[in-house]
Amino acid sequence: MDFSLVELTRDQQIFQRTVRALLDEVVTDEVHEHERATGDGISVPVHLALGRHGWVMPEWPVEDGGAGLDPVCRRILELELARYQVPRIGLGTTRLVWAAVERFGSRELRERLGPGVADGSVRFCLGYSEPDGGSDIAAARVRAVRDGDHWIVNGSKLWTTGAQCCQYSFVITRTDPDLPKHKGLTMFLVPLDLPGVEIQPIMTYGGERTNAVFFGDVRVSDDQRLGEVNDGWTVLRGPLDKEHSLGPGRDVLEDLSSLRQYLRPLETALDVAVAWARDSTKPDGSGPLADAAVLERLGRAATEIELAVCTPGPLGRVKIGDVMIEQSAQLMDLVGTEALISAGADGALGHEGDIDFTHRFAQGTTIYGGTVEVFRNIIAQHDLHLPRASFPGAKVVI
Amino acid sequence: MDRFELRSQDFSLDEDQLAVRAAFADFFAKECPPETVRGAEPRGFDADLWGRLLTLGVGSMSLPTTAGGDDATLVDLVLIAEELGRVLAPVPLISHVVATRMLERAGAPASLISAAARGDFLVTLAHAPVTGGARQLVPDAAVATHVVALLDDKLVLLSADGPGAHVSNQGCTPLAWWRPTDGHDRTVLAAGAKAGAIHTDAVAEWRLLTAAALVGMADAALRLGVEFAKTRRTLGVPIGSLQGISFPLVDIAVGVGGTRHLVWKAAWYAQHEPGSRPELPLMAFDAASRTATHGTSASAHVHGGLGFSVEADISLYFLRAKGWSLLGGSTSANLREIGSVIAGAA
Ligand SMILES: Cc1cc2nc3c(=O)[nH]c(=O)nc-3n(C[C@H](O)[C@H](O)[C@H](O)COP(=O)(O)OP(=O)(O)OC[C@H]3O[C@@H](n4cnc5c(N)ncnc54)[C@H](O)[C@@H]3O)c2cc1C
Repeated sequence: MDFSLVELTRDQQIFQRTVRALLDEVVTDEVHEHERATGDGISVPVHLALGRHGWVMPEWPVEDGGAGLDPVCRRILELELARYQVPRIGLGTTRLVWAAVERFGSRELRERLGPGVADGSVRFCLGYSEPDGGSDIAAARVRAVRDGDHWIVNGSKLWTTGAQCCQYSFVITRTDPDLPKHKGLTMFLVPLDLPGVEIQPIMTYGGERTNAVFFGDVRVSDDQRLGEVNDGWTVLRGPLDKEHSLGPGRDVLEDLSSLRQYLRPLETALDVAVAWARDSTKPDGSGPLADAAVLERLGRAATEIELAVCTPGPLGRVKIGDVMIEQSAQLMDLVGTEALISAGADGALGHEGDIDFTHRFAQGTTIYGGTVEVFRNIIAQHDLHLPRASFPGAKVVI
Repeated sequence: MDRFELRSQDFSLDEDQLAVRAAFADFFAKECPPETVRGAEPRGFDADLWGRLLTLGVGSMSLPTTAGGDDATLVDLVLIAEELGRVLAPVPLISHVVATRMLERAGAPASLISAAARGDFLVTLAHAPVTGGARQLVPDAAVATHVVALLDDKLVLLSADGPGAHVSNQGCTPLAWWRPTDGHDRTVLAAGAKAGAIHTDAVAEWRLLTAAALVGMADAALRLGVEFAKTRRTLGVPIGSLQGISFPLVDIAVGVGGTRHLVWKAAWYAQHEPGSRPELPLMAFDAASRTATHGTSASAHVHGGLGFSVEADISLYFLRAKGWSLLGGSTSANLREIGSVIAGAA
């Protein structure tokens, strides 16, 4: 057990300064304004700048386009990206998908795409969910039919976040509707610039943009296939388990749960609420801190955040989503009417109406990356070993 | 607090810690079945069990070697407290260890410290600072002859010939009303800022160890619920396959997993960086009292009507979730203290 500050070597200190200097330069006000206006979840100029330093794939050797960073420097990079609030959903999805490409892609595919992934010019998004449902990924209906050394893809994916800024989508398709549902799936890395691909934006009230992606007779080369035909489920498990914080042990510098970064806005909202409690004056001249109930709510919010930070793996996934929703609402209640003021308007709290933002943003954190219900099912079976319910659609597509 | 500082987040236990946990888990599982818990009601004290624990050295282990201890850390103590809570052991271990550590920190005479460490007398602490003559409820004062209290600005050890009169209470613990009287023998242990600091730290330590016990309690309640849910059937299926049953059980597991880690983290900070995160033990306590309250109630509910009967073991847990977490006063006051630290430091 150890929670001590990591003592940085001279080289690591220099690295930290280099990261900050770069981020000072590239993470401009325009970057944040662009993110607020579009909700892209990725800043292409920042992503490319990271790529120039080998920091998209920082653990890769320098000759492969990475930076050969040790775990401490990797963690420094991660914390600074968080501190500078770099939009980095695209970074996460690209890294997740690459793990599958590396394992299941042909050598030709790996060599063709690897350098671009490293320099930031090639980015991947996740095409799992469909209009009919996202929780039951194995029920995917997007159809791929063989045509010589190509496949003809038809159907639609929903919630493909980042598609507007990515070159490829990691698309799970149905290639044999007659096999049991997990066995008739094949995975492709579909180039998004192919004829027949259409991307339409979907906006959320959390400020994020995501997309519907339509495939109309899209001809995808067999070279873009990952893994064997009808073995797409195997290809999908790796990245999915990683996204679900399952799988092999973590490094002691890493966060306990892959969703830990989603707590950041709530931490900011708490700091803003504390500043409000300390510094604001009510019309009767009193300050909020004189009210013991204010201290109690701040204490509860801070405790719940700390608890969520400490909750490991899939348990943390559930806890983080629930805490985001409950405590952002609590902070709204605590502050009252002022908490409703939008970013930029007179009296907005914090930099950008942070409590209002967090309350809206929180609602998505129990949905994407697998809903908290899906995770509760996983925990019930894998951690508690409770009996599984049997449902008609567990084995076949219905 | 810099939310982006680079710290290790290593929640693993080393070999020694694993050994301590295993030894006490084993001891408590063997020596304290539910019949022992029931047998000790209503006062909540099993002298025999306590004697055996003292033989294992629990009274002295966390004292410095210079005071005859083994330098066991707060991390060791929370591991032990979790195992104690898991079986609801009716022993005043937490109060006695915390109060003995106060004696040592205040520089009490060596003979007094070693007598407490051996368990020659039982000592507890009064949580609320005393300024007037108002009485307060002191945990374990119905078995302890000695009480450490903050009287005005002095830390004082008060002793009497016998323990206080037990007041019957929900958790069946040795609770007693207490106030300093002329009949008490008094030893002043410390004065001024030092006295206040020792008292504040001790109260935080008591909450931390109690938090650990509540985690063990909630985890045991979860196990009872899970086992019941695997075998009990309705409409031809085990109730555990229904999400109306499995999800509440999962939520207990979520609470236990996070709270246990928070307790460990708080113990580590208190041991290795005292003063840097004073809110952590209080947070651990708040989290643990809610995890135990929710966990024991939800698990009792999973048991259906049986869970409401005194015969079911889960009832022992339900009654002690509040029965233990409220011994140090109101949990609202604890929350306000967290809020004060946050508002002062953020
Ligand atoms: C902002 C945003 C970004 C997203 N980004 C991506 C992305 O990049 N790529 C991608 O593929 N997907 C993405 N998703 C989709 C996301 O993964 C799905 O929305 C999610 O998995 C739920 O699927 P659904 O919306 O179809 O709801 P459904 O699956 O239809 O579920 C509806 C409700 O039923 C519950 N439910 C479903 N099954 C069960 C069950 N077995 N037990 C108990 N309750 C159940 C769900 O929890 C939910 O509350 C994103 C979603 C959002 C909102």
